[in-house]
Amino acid sequence: MTAFWKWGSRALGVAVLAAAVQAAPLAARADDYPSRDIHVICAFPAGSGADVLVRYFADKLQKEAKRTTIVENRTGANGNISAQYVARSDPDGYTIYIHAGSSTAANYSLFKRPPIDPRKDLQVVATLNKQPFMVVVPAESSYKTLGELTEAMKKKGDKANYASSNTSGTVLGQLYERATGVKAVEIHYRTAADTLNDFKSGVLDYGMMDPVFALSQAKAGRIRMLAVATDERMKAIPDVPTMKEQGVDISLPSWFAAMVPSKTPKPIVTTLNGWFNAIEKMPETAQYLAKFGGDPFITTPEEGQELLSKAVDEWAKYVEIAKLPKS
Amino acid sequence: MDILANLATGFSAAASLQNIGFCLIGCMLGTLVGVLPGIGTIPTVAMLLPITFGLNPLSSLIMLAGIYYGAQYGGSTTSILVNMPGEAGSIVTCIEGHQMARKGRAGAALAVAALGSFFAGCVGTVFVAGFGPLLSSIAQEFNSPDYFSLMVLGLVMAVVLAHGSLLKAIGMVLIGLVLGLVGTDVSTGITRYTFGLAGLWDGIDFLPLVIGLFGIVEVIRNLEQPDSERPTLKAKFRELWPNREEFKAAWPAALRGTGIGALLGILPGGGAVLASFASYTVEKKVAKDPSRFGHGAIEGVAGPESANNAGAQTSFIPLLTLGLPSNPIMALMMGAMMIQGIAPGAAVMTARPDLFWGMTASMWIGNLMLVIINLPLIGIWVKLLSAPYRFLYPAIILFCAVGVYSNSAEWFQMVLLAVFSLFGYVVLKLGCEPAPLVLGFILGPLMEENLRRSLILSRGDPTIFIDRPISAVLLAATVLTIALIVFPQFRSTREEAFQE
Repeated sequence: MTAFWKWGSRALGVAVLAAAVQAAPLAARADDYPSRDIHVICAFPAGSGADVLVRYFADKLQKEAKRTTIVENRTGANGNISAQYVARSDPDGYTIYIHAGSSTAANYSLFKRPPIDPRKDLQVVATLNKQPFMVVVPAESSYKTLGELTEAMKKKGDKANYASSNTSGTVLGQLYERATGVKAVEIHYRTAADTLNDFKSGVLDYGMMDPVFALSQAKAGRIRMLAVATDERMKAIPDVPTMKEQGVDISLPSWFAAMVPSKTPKPIVTTLNGWFNAIEKMPETAQYLAKFGGDPFITTPEEGQELLSKAVDEWAKYVEIAKLPKS
Repeated sequence: MDILANLATGFSAAASLQNIGFCLIGCMLGTLVGVLPGIGTIPTVAMLLPITFGLNPLSSLIMLAGIYYGAQYGGSTTSILVNMPGEAGSIVTCIEGHQMARKGRAGAALAVAALGSFFAGCVGTVFVAGFGPLLSSIAQEFNSPDYFSLMVLGLVMAVVLAHGSLLKAIGMVLIGLVLGLVGTDVSTGITRYTFGLAGLWDGIDFLPLVIGLFGIVEVIRNLEQPDSERPTLKAKFRELWPNREEFKAAWPAALRGTGIGALLGILPGGGAVLASFASYTVEKKVAKDPSRFGHGAIEGVAGPESANNAGAQTSFIPLLTLGLPSNPIMALMMGAMMIQGIAPGAAVMTARPDLFWGMTASMWIGNLMLVIINLPLIGIWVKLLSAPYRFLYPAIILFCAVGVYSNSAEWFQMVLLAVFSLFGYVVLKLGCEPAPLVLGFILGPLMEENLRRSLILSRGDPTIFIDRPISAVLLAATVLTIALIVFPQFRSTREEAFQE
């Protein structure tokens, strides 16, 4: 076994060394970019819901760049493995990371030894979409507004239960409790779909759910959406009010972005930004994103980078508030 | 008729050119592994998992399912002709089937096996279509405590019905449960047993585990046996069709076998292998002249062959409706579904009806294909027995390695593959079956999650498991099952049944 560990750590050392050598700025040539295939790195498993979203952008990018795009699934460690891979790849615009920018920022605070600092190691070339987290209740529930829910939950005290199925849900739940004084118990689920039977049987009072789940189940008549946790209402679901409108000042948007290594030459970043913004402006993109409850989100690289930096700071605060353990 | 409308949806989904193609590929591969003694169904499904990720969920499940029931057909061919079961579900077919072949009735035995399987396949399809929605509507009433109790029952049954030593099976389940603990804990987000390795944060990956334990180890195990013992076809066909008497004896046996198989398939821990053994025992008991058994009784072919096929199909019911894999193959299917982003369970039928009904329909299409593939082409399949294994094995190992690496492009997964191959070999040498381990590995995290969620919901009160009627019934069944093992009389019958 010791031999294995020695071998393992040596192999790791070699890999790190190789990556460091690779990360040394190469004379990336911007004038003939793109002259070969572009690799899009996806942190989600092939065939999963979010993988499909990444593949949509990769497919459109292929047409804009007039170069073949290859999607590589590098899964694991909550996206850290793929983020690290991209941050250490050649800064030449041929390796692009399409992932939730908010989650990439969150990882910096969620891990004891974050492998990268997204502010320093990654450059946002374009933001791609904005997705809302949602407060939902079972369809049979009598609460029609966030105010009614809050009122009832305060009365129920620590007998109240709410569902979450990922980190953002947990954070939103904690922020909501802090803002309103509700003291519900959080019930964790591995996947959002696992909550369905418990919503139906009535053991769950409310849930902090992702838009893909919330939209499809609301359509099927199993749950009701009370509020979105974004600054403004979403164009994709205009009839669901924000939490702010209903007097609870919380905004926890998640957004996707295309990112490259930070040393990528400026002209290449600008070119990529142009392509992605062109994709964003296509009507079919808005239609496609609406299926996931999201809106297109157009920014310049500078604005995107600013957003990423801000998200890193915000998430450091959230991790503290929600007392999330560091891995 | 709801079922008819649903089946129509299913057939229109399954009858697309692409899906029929994957169904055919699955059936062909299944027949191939059924015929070849060195390669079992579980390793094949495990090895093919990575390929399916690029496909849509329905196509990939259709193909994987085709391998499973296809192997039940292929296995009978070699059992009958050369007395060598290519697949565990066909072991009993050897007993009577090969005796028939030696008497020159190989053709009749093969025809009865294929037709019995086809009949069972059709009934199995109807069974899935009828029972699925029923169980699925019950499953919607399941809450965390019920799921926990269901999984406890599933694991206990799997241990009781596994062949080989009880103690070893329990040991393997426990190792599987422990391996399932590795990674980020759902309830708290804390990482456990990761030793600081990033590759373990999301838990041990399913692919290196199953491909190592089944794929690579299978090759090593075969290499240990000398290559010269390859049997050749000595039996001669006189005629392909059973005569009147044989037919008259075979059809009631096929009916009984189908019934036994369909029921045992649904049971947690059941499936094709158990069904074929049970059917053989029953045929021997009901026969007017039991002394014919062992000398080529056609009932002993028709019954088990129908039973293993019916069992192979109905074992999909608990997986698709309750999210409970009843045997290792179903655990692999569950893994395939989860990697595709589909959580098996009651939600499948409501959220993805095309998936459930498409698969059900594909089973019937696949069975029809198998009759056509098998009967006229028997000669070709038997020739495959002389395929040079020195080409086959390196190809399999390469295929395993590429499959594991391409899924995540992480070298760490290759280390895991090597570790599990080695572990699997050691375990094999100790005489333990790796199958219960996989069930424990798949069910362990789900069990833990539901256990803890139940206790959080009840604020720490364990009576929640007895207060809920569904959970209470399941736990009672578990206690009963455990009592049966402890009860010496049953234990001896269990050992007897597996000895045959």
